[in-house]
Amino acid sequence: MRREGWRRSLAMVGSQLYYEQLAFWRNPFKAGFTVGFSLVFLVLLAAVGGTGRIAVYHVRSVQFYVPNFAAYGVMSASFNLLAISLVGRRETGQLKRLRLTPLPSWVMLAAVSLSALVVAVVQVVLLVAVGWLAFGLRLPGDPLPLLLAVVVGALAFVPLGVAASALVPNEEAAGPMLSIAFFVLLFISGLWFPLQPHSVLAEISGWFPFRRLMLAMQAPFLTASGLQVSPWSWRNLGVVMIWGVASAAVAVRLFRFEPHRA
Amino acid sequence: MAAIVVEGLAKRYGSVRAVEDVSFTVEAGEVFALLGPNGAGKTTTLEVLEGFRARDEGRVEVLGLDPGDPAGSRELRRRMGVVLQELAVESFLTVREVLARNAGYFPSPRDVDEVIETVGLTEKANARVTRLSGGQMRRLDLGLGIVGNPELLFLDEPTTGFDPSARRDAWEVVRRLATGGTTVVLTTHYMDEAEALAQHVAVISAGRIVADGRPETLAGRDEAEAVVRFRLPDTVPAAELPVQPSRLIEGGLVELRTTDAVGVLHRLTGWALERGVPLAGLTCERLTLEDVYLRLTGYLAAEQEP
Repeated sequence: MRREGWRRSLAMVGSQLYYEQLAFWRNPFKAGFTVGFSLVFLVLLAAVGGTGRIAVYHVRSVQFYVPNFAAYGVMSASFNLLAISLVGRRETGQLKRLRLTPLPSWVMLAAVSLSALVVAVVQVVLLVAVGWLAFGLRLPGDPLPLLLAVVVGALAFVPLGVAASALVPNEEAAGPMLSIAFFVLLFISGLWFPLQPHSVLAEISGWFPFRRLMLAMQAPFLTASGLQVSPWSWRNLGVVMIWGVASAAVAVRLFRFEPHRA
Repeated sequence: MAAIVVEGLAKRYGSVRAVEDVSFTVEAGEVFALLGPNGAGKTTTLEVLEGFRARDEGRVEVLGLDPGDPAGSRELRRRMGVVLQELAVESFLTVREVLARNAGYFPSPRDVDEVIETVGLTEKANARVTRLSGGQMRRLDLGLGIVGNPELLFLDEPTTGFDPSARRDAWEVVRRLATGGTTVVLTTHYMDEAEALAQHVAVISAGRIVADGRPETLAGRDEAEAVVRFRLPDTVPAAELPVQPSRLIEGGLVELRTTDAVGVLHRLTGWALERGVPLAGLTCERLTLEDVYLRLTGYLAAEQEP
């Protein structure tokens, strides 16, 4: 009986995930911008960097930009896009309507999180493929540290996105509010340029999960470039996870199903 | 058997009393209309019944369950359908996909194609929601409300913004559901809608129920004074009439108010035939549901009635 219940719940998550994915990839602007943004930046920065070495790390620039934009891909899917989409669903009454059906709320949230993970993985695979094919990216010997960072990142940024969505008052504000906060944090976290360790920016952004996820995803690629660093970045992933757990607690308290204007 | 029992329901938002001491009963299989101006408490009442909003006071039973209790609410959601005022549908899916997805939420849903046909979207079944007109979107909304094969359907202003033919179509859907045994609870501020669909109406004003009954007898509408009007030729003095007029208006227009319309009309027309007096423009009017409603909700004072 209990097993049947689980099977049914899993089937519901699977079905909901299918429709989430369908709706995501059918929206040409959303899908195109999400995937295109990181690819365009990677291509531009890697092309400008050429075969030269990047400051601070002294590795070829592609070894730095691929993991950074892969981290960006994970964060944009799980945090930024997710929060904007949740605000939209809340303000148009979709969440309220869902609340009045037998679909458990956790199934909806699980499907939305998994959907973000799928979009994140697609981006990571694309970025790594383009980096490898076009710019001679050296691949990590062991894919597990990278995979772990992607999964931990996606799962930790989802509750952060849910919590952020609760702080945004309406649909019109969602894009600007969330994107400004997101890109400022990415900028000071060193997405586009490497930060000197112990610099003011590095110290400040080190408190936030954005920089920590980038560092965790860089590690396997730096190892692949021959730097003497561990590909397993436990400390960085730990900070990301703490943010995930803390924001989950906040998200549970703040999450609302009904539009603010009502 | 009662599908819904509400006794002494109260709901406050801070210091604002949205609903106060509301009581009514909806029988199973009945179409019940909750009428009232904007802000009167219709939607709040519905949200409490749906289990979306917690009540502050009172007893509420929906399909024998307490919607305020988590387990009761969970069970209720399997057995009810809801159509909200907002058009809330994922826009990049097709009509069929949206309905099929939601059908999967329910233990024994209706056939998706049958629902599409019922709400008249067969030609748009494979169109994305973004390509639907406003009226078609509302029909999809109605389809989402019934796809779970509910015993009880809540419709919050189901035809607001519909053109007249779309309204008739929506009414037809509601009638067919009711014939099939579904209990329907709707809110509206169209009196013709309430009259066309509901066997039972209640009027809510400023958070309180001010009338409850059948639409044709609401607030003593059937027993209230009827107004008889006609034109008397100049040659016939009003004093010769067999019944005393209530009012004489310029141009020979006579107005009679009576609770005995049959008796008055009988005497009046008998006298007119006998004397050969034409009673030009003879009408006999009763209070419409709208008159009763406007009076109950305080828009019309009693003496202003037609």
